[in-house]
Amino acid sequence: MGVVQRGVKNAFRNGVRSLSVIFILAISVSMALVMLTALKAVSEKINNIKSSVGNIITVTLAGMRGFEGGGTLLNNEDADAIKSMDHVRNVLAILNARLTTIGTESPGFGRNENSNLNAQTSLSAPPIQQKSETSGSTSNRHFVINGQEVTGRNFSMPITVVGLNNLSNLSALNASSYSVSSGVEFDPATNENIAMLGKDLASQNNIFADGTFTAYGQTITVSGIFDAGNVFANASIVMPIKTLQNLSGEAEQINSLIVTADSIDSLPAVQNAIKDKLGENVDVTNSEQSSQNAISPLENIKTISFYSLIGSLVAGAIIIFLTMVMIVRERRREIGVLKAIGSSNIGIMTMFTVESLVLTITSSILGIVAGVLFSNPVLKILISSSESAPTNNFSAEKLGQGMGRFGQGAGQMMARFGGGIENARNSLQNLHAIIGWDIILYGLGAAVIIAIAGSAVSSFVIVKIRPAEVMRQE
Amino acid sequence: MLKVINLSKDFKTEDNTINAVSNVSFEVGDGVFSTIIGKSGSGKSTLLSLLGALDNPSSGNIMVDDQEISKMSDQQLIKYRRDKIGFVFQNYNLIPNLSALENVMIPMEFAGVKLSTRKDRASKLLSQVGITNDKQERKPGRLSGGEQQRVAIARALANKPKLILADEPTGNLDSATGKIIIDLLKKLSKSENTTIIAVTHDEGIAATADSTFKLKDGKLIK
Repeated sequence: MGVVQRGVKNAFRNGVRSLSVIFILAISVSMALVMLTALKAVSEKINNIKSSVGNIITVTLAGMRGFEGGGTLLNNEDADAIKSMDHVRNVLAILNARLTTIGTESPGFGRNENSNLNAQTSLSAPPIQQKSETSGSTSNRHFVINGQEVTGRNFSMPITVVGLNNLSNLSALNASSYSVSSGVEFDPATNENIAMLGKDLASQNNIFADGTFTAYGQTITVSGIFDAGNVFANASIVMPIKTLQNLSGEAEQINSLIVTADSIDSLPAVQNAIKDKLGENVDVTNSEQSSQNAISPLENIKTISFYSLIGSLVAGAIIIFLTMVMIVRERRREIGVLKAIGSSNIGIMTMFTVESLVLTITSSILGIVAGVLFSNPVLKILISSSESAPTNNFSAEKLGQGMGRFGQGAGQMMARFGGGIENARNSLQNLHAIIGWDIILYGLGAAVIIAIAGSAVSSFVIVKIRPAEVMRQE
Repeated sequence: MLKVINLSKDFKTEDNTINAVSNVSFEVGDGVFSTIIGKSGSGKSTLLSLLGALDNPSSGNIMVDDQEISKMSDQQLIKYRRDKIGFVFQNYNLIPNLSALENVMIPMEFAGVKLSTRKDRASKLLSQVGITNDKQERKPGRLSGGEQQRVAIARALANKPKLILADEPTGNLDSATGKIIIDLLKKLSKSENTTIIAVTHDEGIAATADSTFKLKDGKLIK
């Protein structure tokens, strides 16, 4: 039997005590593991949110609200300059236009009232919900648009056309995502007369994929029908931005830009760089505060997890330290005898370190099993306790959609920010603790460090024990 | 073989200095069974600790096989205790969670003896001191006091030491068992040519020894 085997055997010399120590230590290890897992999951989620939610900068014409106000349009050169800036991941260029049905009255408001961006089309807008209690006067009807009661003239609802250079982001239509229900997406870089129609608009006009309609006096081919999940987007037209620029005669011109930074942390730098580049002609706003609000509950969980992790590790170290000191004190005579019959200090210290390692590694294995079982329930508890802090009971996305009908720019902003908050809140609910091999290895590594640290002081006591003490105690 | 020259050991307290061993000199030859007798507190165990290099003398020399212990380094002292000395304690001091066989194997493990060799030798030594095969796998708690002391003697013999130091080896045994243990030690001193120095306060045991040293207040008086 060697020194290692003797150490292993010694670990279970006092069965009741060893099991008690292992049990208590396993609780500490499982707690540390759960907290490490939560910390890792939350940190990853925060980084994910920072790089995907709230990292948006919107560049609109100064003073522009929806179709009203604003100065000189932006252009492709501005978009290219921003795209080449540090920390800019993507630039979505948007050109908005509105079409009215041929033979009907134009709504007649907005900055494009007299511009080429206001034109006519063969399409007619889907009907909006009409309030049942109308005044009876056709010239002063009451309508409910997305829950908002409005009164207006007998006008034909305009159809929004959005020109995009990128189809990965349909936030210009207040949609976080969309699906093509029939047909195919067009190439956003093309300048062909091609478009996708929202499903409600397509249905209203009985148009299918590969069908055509007229706008700006030209025939436009429908490449596909999309469903973006909201009334505003589904009543709209999406075109390649170059096509819309050509059709409207606004070559190279852009209404607004949606700039995606690589992380929320880069927002201030990118925002300042854009302001420096474009000057006072544009309003540059970002969604940092909104995303910070969304991240706040996660930061709370991260803080709790971090301190609990430290606390668990310290508790584990103290448990094994006290246990080893107690064991060494109990076995002073035995240590003296071993020295008297020829053992070196290192041999005895190795034996006690092995004993300490056996206790901690056994505890770690049990702790890991417990950690796997309890990490997700504990994470849910942490989430539920942290979630109550910052809540926005209104649905900003829905509000954004409502505003989108009349004030497109503001509506888009609200939709994007609101969507971010909703996404972050959903991601909080979808947060899952996953114990991978890396976490298990961290756990075992921590156990080894705790075991060695715990046996360090006892080793010091071992060195100090003189074999002559054994003789004197006879 | 063993030569003690003007050996002294002082313990200092806050108020005064206690001379536990004072200017002791003697010689013991190979294969001799000697006893050190004296009253409690006379310095017997302290002298034994000094001889076994468990403690450092305040002054004087101990020569074993012409080697001076007081000049040895810590590593040399460990080797000296491991290879040259065997200890037998009054309380046996066996490791409780190891079997009799494993207890006897430990000193050989420290000396780097192969597992199979140390197992064979431990078994032979246990048989030699009267521990039959069926008891060799027993832990100390399942052996009588006399049997435990026999195991301790076998452990002391494990590395074929030149000197066995026994501190009150019969102190916890009845007189009949004590006599058996003393007879065993005497027999081994001859058969193994090992010098045995046993501390005792039993005049009867001392009377049967090859030589006896009497200590009083740390001084050798006989």
